[in-house]
This record gives sequence, structure tokens and C-alpha cells, in this order.
Amino acid sequence: MHHNGSPNRILVIGGGFSGLTAGIEAAETGAEVIIVEKNPYLGGRVAQLNKYFPKICPPLCGLEINYRRIKVNPNITFYTMAQVDSISGVSGDYNVKIKIKPRYVNENCTACNACAEVCPAERDSDFNFGLNKTKAIYLPFEQSFPLRYVLDRTACPKDCSAPCVAACKYNAIDLNMQEQIIEVKVNSIVVATGWKPYDAAKIDNLGFGKVKNVITNMMLERMASTNGPTEGQIIRTSDGKPVEKVAFVQCAGSRDENHLPFCSYICCLASLKHTLYIKEQNPDAEVFIYYIDIRTPGRYEKFLNQVLEKGGVNLIKGKVAAIEQDADSDDVIVTAEDILSGTKIKQKVDMVVLATGMQPEGLEFKVPGLKYAVDGFVIDADGIYSAGCAKNPMDVAGCGKDSTGAALKAIQIGVRR
Amino acid sequence: MDKPVRPDLQFAKEIIKAGGESLKKCYQCSTCTVVCSLAPEDNPFPRKEMLYAQWGLKEKLYKNPDIWLCHHCGDCTAYCPRGAKPGEVLGAVRKLMIKDYSPPKFLANWVADPKYLLLIFLIPILLFMGELFLLGYFSGTEIPRGDNGEMAYSAFLPAVPWIDLPFMAVAGFAVICFYLGVKKYWLDLASQYEIKRKDIYNCIYETIKDILLHKKFQLCTTNKSRYSAHILVLYAFIGLGITTGIAAFYEWVLHWKSPYPQTNIVKIIGNISGIALIVGIFLVIVNRSKNAAKQGIGSYFDWLLIFIIAGVGVTGFLAQLLRLAEIETLGYASYVAHLVFVFTLFTYAPHSKMAHMVYRATAMVFAKAALREEGVKKQEAA
Repeated sequence: MHHNGSPNRILVIGGGFSGLTAGIEAAETGAEVIIVEKNPYLGGRVAQLNKYFPKICPPLCGLEINYRRIKVNPNITFYTMAQVDSISGVSGDYNVKIKIKPRYVNENCTACNACAEVCPAERDSDFNFGLNKTKAIYLPFEQSFPLRYVLDRTACPKDCSAPCVAACKYNAIDLNMQEQIIEVKVNSIVVATGWKPYDAAKIDNLGFGKVKNVITNMMLERMASTNGPTEGQIIRTSDGKPVEKVAFVQCAGSRDENHLPFCSYICCLASLKHTLYIKEQNPDAEVFIYYIDIRTPGRYEKFLNQVLEKGGVNLIKGKVAAIEQDADSDDVIVTAEDILSGTKIKQKVDMVVLATGMQPEGLEFKVPGLKYAVDGFVIDADGIYSAGCAKNPMDVAGCGKDSTGAALKAIQIGVRR
Repeated sequence: MDKPVRPDLQFAKEIIKAGGESLKKCYQCSTCTVVCSLAPEDNPFPRKEMLYAQWGLKEKLYKNPDIWLCHHCGDCTAYCPRGAKPGEVLGAVRKLMIKDYSPPKFLANWVADPKYLLLIFLIPILLFMGELFLLGYFSGTEIPRGDNGEMAYSAFLPAVPWIDLPFMAVAGFAVICFYLGVKKYWLDLASQYEIKRKDIYNCIYETIKDILLHKKFQLCTTNKSRYSAHILVLYAFIGLGITTGIAAFYEWVLHWKSPYPQTNIVKIIGNISGIALIVGIFLVIVNRSKNAAKQGIGSYFDWLLIFIIAGVGVTGFLAQLLRLAEIETLGYASYVAHLVFVFTLFTYAPHSKMAHMVYRATAMVFAKAALREEGVKKQEAA
């Protein structure tokens, strides 16, 4: 409660790790927080990771803790499948319109899966980057929060007899649900819109989508996750063969004026982490990491050495700039100049992982009323504070700290009035 | 132990000034080397050249055929993540290399700097104006007409001595400059690389075949239309060379004076080549403009040659049309302009971009002799 009696209200745009942190930290000081998330679940990119830095542990317990903090805190309201439509007003007194898309499943849902069992239609799983399919009515992932199914009407044929409605014993499916617009008044705004993986198909010389067994680092995260499309098995997408030789292509679209001009911070570490995933499943696997510079910011240098100790990890200075299919197998051939020896080398591998970078959501999708830098990162304004990867590429630990800081700045706006 | 590397920052600055402004943006990722279809597997270019250029290692750049094995496809520039434009940087290095190899140096400075543009053209303009003055055309002498009473440039400016003398002089001068330059270049290359093949004549033959078939240009991917534009200009020049040869034969052996009938073989070859030259150079201009963002627009040095070649083609053709139409003053003016352009083309050939023809061919022969092209051959075969 604020000193003059009116509540200190904060809007948090984005319900990923940064948004959750900022929102919960603020709410735990007594502020009223509204979290707006465009996905049907909270947790964002972190929810898609198999393991995360710095402890290389599964992120789900970290997320669980945050979900629990939300559940027990009456100061937090969150909207999933929601987007900010407009922001007007001034610092201390913002008027925000929020558009909430219909989920077609209400809070009666118990996640019993009866609807999905009878659903005749399928869609590509966006959570798993198209590596598998879900039914048109689906649970995004096992630990989704809120634990509630969602219906993708675009994947559901118009003449569908909707057997799901009949199969649901709880009257949870409501096909008449409409888009809603709500208006809220807030004192300040935290922008935690995060990032998405850079579209690897745009890097036309790296063969993604054209050459078999070329995947992205985030696809590998899903593959390595036990709740993922291969139940944790790192195998080739083309024939299910377990991988023995894997090439990692660093800076795939990062530090590149033709794509993302900045360093995405985490990709070198991610590839080293992925090397551990691969080595865990097959200690004899050979890994080739092609880099411009191996970047292990701050104390992460130690992690590089830990991974190198595993053996069979080849670091090659030279960016991969050509990827082709082997003429008579599903193998992939990568070409780079091994700069230290000055030779153009071709390496045949089972699978190639493109270490694609972080494209700030703001590059393609801008929240009306916010200011953005040319590369899509959010520019802070009076009463509007960016947090996490909406501001700058960073690791999850960095996002946590940055979001706590943003929360404090947001709280001050309401208190200072 | 290796000798310590001594950077020559002055030379690095010269490269930057010569059109390699983007040089320092390179962060040595070697995307360029991989996307380059012309680079050999062993010690490929242009990544190492970018490093040499940043350090100003002139010897490393010059005493290596690689700067000329690059045909400026622009694939490297298109894919460069830093906008360092390796293609443009190598172009700048080649420009400086021409200056350092073709004597005399002052001529190279003239063609490299826009402030000498007027001077370059003033020399032939004064030369031919002087000839017209000596012939008395400025003091009322009537311009003679051909044997059949038609407008004839051979009557206006008889080949002997007014055309053949100055042109043979400048051609001879160019040949001497080229000879000295190529000799120095070959010795420098041979000081660094072992010549592994003894059949130099075969190397020359293979190089000529590569050039005539434009084998290297075919490997470019970003700018495919460059191949057709460049090959058109090359064949136009070959055609115009043949035309000049036949015309010389008519003039000197048969004592048959121009103009020749439009149906004569010399006119047919000449006209086809002339049109090819105009179309080819037009395509060069269009390509360069169209691909400017991806490939780089090129430097003044490049554009001067393009301008001279376009000038040769357009004035030559115009002079013919005006002669056929009997439009005297304009016709004679076009003819003189044509002579001026051809004169600049010849005189500055060893120092202008035109020299690429000779130095690149030398580098290609050397590369074959030193077995530098292994690995690229495989790609050609594919």
C-alpha cells in the first residue's frame, strides 16, 4: 500500500524468467502487479531449456518456485495469451489496454487429456520447434502454468464436430470464448519481452531447412529434455541415429551485420553445455566447435575448461560458412578455414547444431507506446524499465538480477508520487 | 625462429585511401575464404590478405599470386558479417600493386587520382588538336574528302603519319612498361614460391584457355551476370583487335584506303565488336550499380577504365554513323574524341585498371606453374 492510500501498481510485459522475477519481487514488497504473457503459459524461453546456467540444472524447479510465489501472493494478477494493445499517459499514471485472446478452455480444466485423446487434428509443436506434433487441443508442456489445455483454432478444421467438447467431463471447453480487451491503470511498466531464436533459415549458406540434420541450439535443448520430442535422446532428425560426431557452428546469425549485429552472449556457453549433453549420452562422441572467438564472459571461463577436460572436444578457429549434404548419406559436411593452420577444411559429421543467437522480440514485434533501438532492444523511458533480454542478451542469472533492479525502479515511481 | 612481423601502418593507410576504407572492420572470421569459390584449399584467400593488409605487410601481399587470383566476384563482400568488403580491399591492393610495378610511377598516380582527370585527357586532346593545326584545318584549309568524294576519316587524318605514328609510339611505350612490370612481378613471385612445373608454355596455354572461357568468373555466385558482361567486353576487344589487324593489312599491304564498304569483312567484324563493347560495358555499369550494396561499387580507378572503354565504344560508333550521314563537323569531332579515348586506353594501360589484364594473367600462369590452384580445379570440374 502506498503512503497516500492508493496502491502502487506495476505492469510487467512478459511472463518469462525476467518478467516473473520483476513481478514477484515487486509484489512481495506490497505492489500490485499485472503480468501480461503472450504464450498460453508462463516461464518463457527458460521453460524450453533442458538445463541452465550457472548450475547446469533443469530449470523446472526454479520455475516451480516462482509459480508457487505467484500462487501464494494475492498482489499478482497474470494474463496468458495476452498482449499490450496500447499505452498512454505519463510516468506514474499509465493507461494500458490489454488484449486477451480466447483460450477456448476455462478454469474447470483438470488437464486430464480426455479432449486431446479424441481430437482428430494435429499441429506442429511450437514449444518443440516443430520437432513433433501436438493435437489441436493440447497442454504446452507437462509443467505448464497455468496447468490448463489450450485450443489452437487455426489447426482445428472449420467443420470439426468438436469431439473434445463431448469428451470433456468438466465443461471446460468453451468454443464461444471471445477476444477480450481490458484496461488497467498503472504507475510504471517493466518490459520483459525477452527474445526468440534467430530464424536460421535466413542464413542461406548454412543450409537450415535445406540440408538434413542441421538443427538449432534451441532444438537441441528440446531434444535433450526428457519431456521433449525424443524423450531426451539426442538423435538425428532424419533417421533417428544416435550422434557420434557433431559440429557446432558459432555466431550463426550473431555478430553479423547481415543478421544480428550483436553478440548474443550465451551461444558459446550453450554449445559447451550441449557438448556436455552429448558426452553424457555418448562419452566417445566427438564434438567440433567452430568459432570466431570462444566467449566465456566473466567466471564462465572455468566452464570452458571443465568441458575441454572431457576430451574429444575440438575447438576450431574459423567460422563455418558452407554446409552441404553428404553425397551418399544423411551426413552433413561443414566447411571452414582452420585459421590457425591456414587450410580450408571440410568435416563430415552426423549432425550440425547452429548456435543461433537471441533476436529481441522487439525487432519484429513492437509494443505500441514503447521505444526501441534499431536492433530491437527496448529503450527505457520515464516509468518504463526494460529487464532481461529485452534490454540486452544475457544469461538467466543476469536476467534475475537485472529484473530485480528493474522492479525497484518501477516501485520507486509509485512511491515517489 | 620466424622473423618478427613489422607492421607498415603507412601502407595500411594507403590501402584504406585507395578504396579499402572498410579494411579495419575485419575480425578474421574467415567467412570470406569459405564462400570464395576461387580460393585454393591450402592457404586460401582473402582472409589472410585482410590480415596482411591491416598490418600493411606489402611484401606478403605482392609476392603472392593470390591478390590476382581473386576476380572480385563479391561473394566475400556479400557474406562478410562486418561489412569489411574483402573484395574492395583486394581491389585497392591490386591498384597499389600496379602502381608499384608498372614504371613510371607518376602515370600510375595520374590514373589513380581524380584531380588528374583533366590532365589525362588533355594530353591526347592537345596532341590531336596540334595535328589538326598542322594540317591547317584551323586556318581555313578545307578538309579533303575520300577518293569517291565521300566523307572519309582517312582523308581527314591520313593514317601515316597522323594516326599510326602516335599510336605505335604509345603502344610501344605500353609494351615496355608492361614488360618491366611483369618481369619484376614474376621474379618477386619466384622468390617466394617454387616453380614446380617446367612446362611454362603449357601454363600459358592453359591460362589463355581459362581467360577465353572465363572459367573463373563462372564460379562466382553472388553476381552471376558479371560473367556475361565481362566476357562480352573481352570478346569485343578481341574483335576490335582483329578489326585493327585487317585494317592495317588493307592499309599497309593492299594500300586500300578506308572507308570500306559496310559489307566488307573488316566492317562486319568491327561493327559487331563495337556493339558488343557498348552493350558489354553498359552491362558492367548496370551490374556494378545494381550490386553496389552487396559487392561494393568499386573505386575511381575502376570507374575511370569503365568510362574510357565506354568512351571508346560510343565515340567510335557515333563517328561511323555521322560519317555515313555525312554530318561533317560533328563527325570529325566524334572521330577526334574517339582517337582521344583510344589514346588514353593505350597510354595508361600499364597503370590503369586495364593492367589487370596483364598482371592477372601473369599471376594465373604463375599459380599454375607453382601448383597453387589445386583444389580449385576440383570445383571447376564439378
